[in-house]
Amino acid sequence: MNPLKDLFNPRGVAVVGASKDPTKIGHLILKNIVEYGYKGGIYPVNPTVSEVMGLKSYPAVSTISDKVDVVVVSVPNVKVLDVIDDSGKTGVKHAVVIASGFKEVGNVELENELVRRARRYGMRVLGPNIFGYVYTPGRLNATFGPRDVIPGNVAFITQSGALGIALMGSTILEGIGISAIVSVGNKSDIDDADLLEFFDEDPNTSVVLIYMEGVSDGKRFVNIASKISMRKPVVVIKSGRTEAGARAAASHTGSLAGNVLLYETAFKQSGVLSAKSVEEAFDFVKTLSWNPLPSGEKVVVITNGGGAGVQASDTLADDGIYLEKPPQDFVEEVKKMVPPFASLANPVDLTGMAPEDWYYRSVKLAVRNPEIDAVLILYCHTALTSPVGVAKAVSKALEEAGVSKPVSVALIGGIEAYEAIKYLTNLRIPAYPTPERAAHALAAQLKYRKHREYLMKKEHIVNNKA
Amino acid sequence: MAESKQILERAKSEGRLKLLEHESLKLCEIYGLPVARYGLATSEEEAVALASDIGFPVVLKVVSPDISHKSDVGGVILGVKSLEEVRKAYSTIMSNVSTRSPGSRVNGVLVQSMAQQDLEVIVGGIRDKVFGPVVMFGLGGVFVEVLKDVSFRVAPLTEADVDDMIREIKGYKVLEGFRGSPPRDIESLKKIIMGLATMISELSEIEAVDLNPVILYPRGRGALIVDARIILGG
Repeated sequence: MNPLKDLFNPRGVAVVGASKDPTKIGHLILKNIVEYGYKGGIYPVNPTVSEVMGLKSYPAVSTISDKVDVVVVSVPNVKVLDVIDDSGKTGVKHAVVIASGFKEVGNVELENELVRRARRYGMRVLGPNIFGYVYTPGRLNATFGPRDVIPGNVAFITQSGALGIALMGSTILEGIGISAIVSVGNKSDIDDADLLEFFDEDPNTSVVLIYMEGVSDGKRFVNIASKISMRKPVVVIKSGRTEAGARAAASHTGSLAGNVLLYETAFKQSGVLSAKSVEEAFDFVKTLSWNPLPSGEKVVVITNGGGAGVQASDTLADDGIYLEKPPQDFVEEVKKMVPPFASLANPVDLTGMAPEDWYYRSVKLAVRNPEIDAVLILYCHTALTSPVGVAKAVSKALEEAGVSKPVSVALIGGIEAYEAIKYLTNLRIPAYPTPERAAHALAAQLKYRKHREYLMKKEHIVNNKA
Repeated sequence: MAESKQILERAKSEGRLKLLEHESLKLCEIYGLPVARYGLATSEEEAVALASDIGFPVVLKVVSPDISHKSDVGGVILGVKSLEEVRKAYSTIMSNVSTRSPGSRVNGVLVQSMAQQDLEVIVGGIRDKVFGPVVMFGLGGVFVEVLKDVSFRVAPLTEADVDDMIREIKGYKVLEGFRGSPPRDIESLKKIIMGLATMISELSEIEAVDLNPVILYPRGRGALIVDARIILGG
């Protein structure tokens, strides 16, 4: 059994520092737990009050007679050790330490003692210095971030607190469905590798997104990330990409081995998809979590404008994907509807006179064609069509195709195009405002497919040798 | 293994964080890496005997823990082609060093086969605080100095990793054969990278290794490590 199973599926959660004061973090966390619909036992712990939000308040964790697997610790740093002792004694398995004032401010000894104490009781520590965690399959939102996280299949691990909370909100705005959000803060005990091990086995997670400042055990990260990447894509935003390789170097190799370069190497080696920005990471996560895995690299680009097509082809080429001629039977069918001057090499240009129906027909044909692995659909807003109309035509085609293939859509234009993107997003069809972003997000899936094959080949070789 | 520990112990006991050249070459040999034939001479007679055993031409280099830029003090003589020249080179080096770097400890003179010139590559390794043993590969000279065209991998390595890191550099074409220059002995290169990864993984005292240059000959003709520099952790 995974050691973090009870963290994500606790029978009961105690919130130490649960306050009646609605501006207090302990209050906000309790409120989220209650309002997001957690079904296990919820136990406010606060010796100064008898109830919080209508729930009985306990003076100490040890006074709760029901089974508590997780204690959320939202008290000042100096009181944390007492809470660990109190809950450790009663068999709590996980301490989620919200409190700050540990290693991040130089208080190394307090943090070390926190871990030592917890270990004594066999307790694992998430944090300290975090905003909490979410696990949507159990309707558990133990954070002081936004409440209405959209359930889905993306697990998000974040080392940054403020940015992490903000991105929690962004996932809602962007329509990204979440299985888990884990604020890891100082990573005194539970780190990225532990969580990757859990998410690897977690049937509710199919993509992992990490915002990482750094790891302490790089070798273990590479090892575990390589394993999970054979089954599920991992996208990492690594902060500090431009930091100079500041190694006081007695050797030539050392002078070249900058910190940034080694992280890039580690990601490459473990099949992790590296994203340069939050925007790029979210773009990737949409194709990776909403599309099926592509079975090959043959992409057909359908567009109503040459410019958009060229932008997309260039982006794909930068990502190492070169467009080939579309299958002849597909071309023959498209030829029947488009004007004779339309260019049907790849990109397939339906021309500016393309009505919504041409999108519907060509997308359906492309998805159904066994010689096509993925479809990139580009649309420039024209006077003859409405973006939402095109979005509807595309979604209808995908629905009726009877086969599921990776797609990515760019709807380029003004406010109406934006509405159309929202329409597709609600249906979990990856849609973007530019041809480059749509192309790059689709390329991420093809890249992941390659990484995966490479990792499996590697494992095959290693296993055969063993 | 015992021999490698001995080398490391001796360096440690003498307070040296950089292995002497013959010690570095010896560690390479222990890990099965191909080095240009060498020996340490502590007298003119030994130098002559080594040179006749190794075969000409040879290179003579002073071995001293106190001299890091050997050429600057006249401690290196290349292209030594006869026994007579060996005698002369040995005494020239000794007198150069005593006048230009007085007081430096001298362990002897390394007599090394002068490897036939060809494509130079660099293979290196470091022990990183986060990732542990990491290896590096690049083409020598301008490729590494100016363009920093190198690739890294975290150990332990699979063959697929090594294949990948070799192909990853921008100058890979040079190894495949380019403008009349023949394809290179990539199999030998892979063995060197793998061997170095094993060395640095097994010998936790090692902080960094530069095998620079490694001469990579055309396919089927192997590779030779000409210079090895091994730094120990403090």
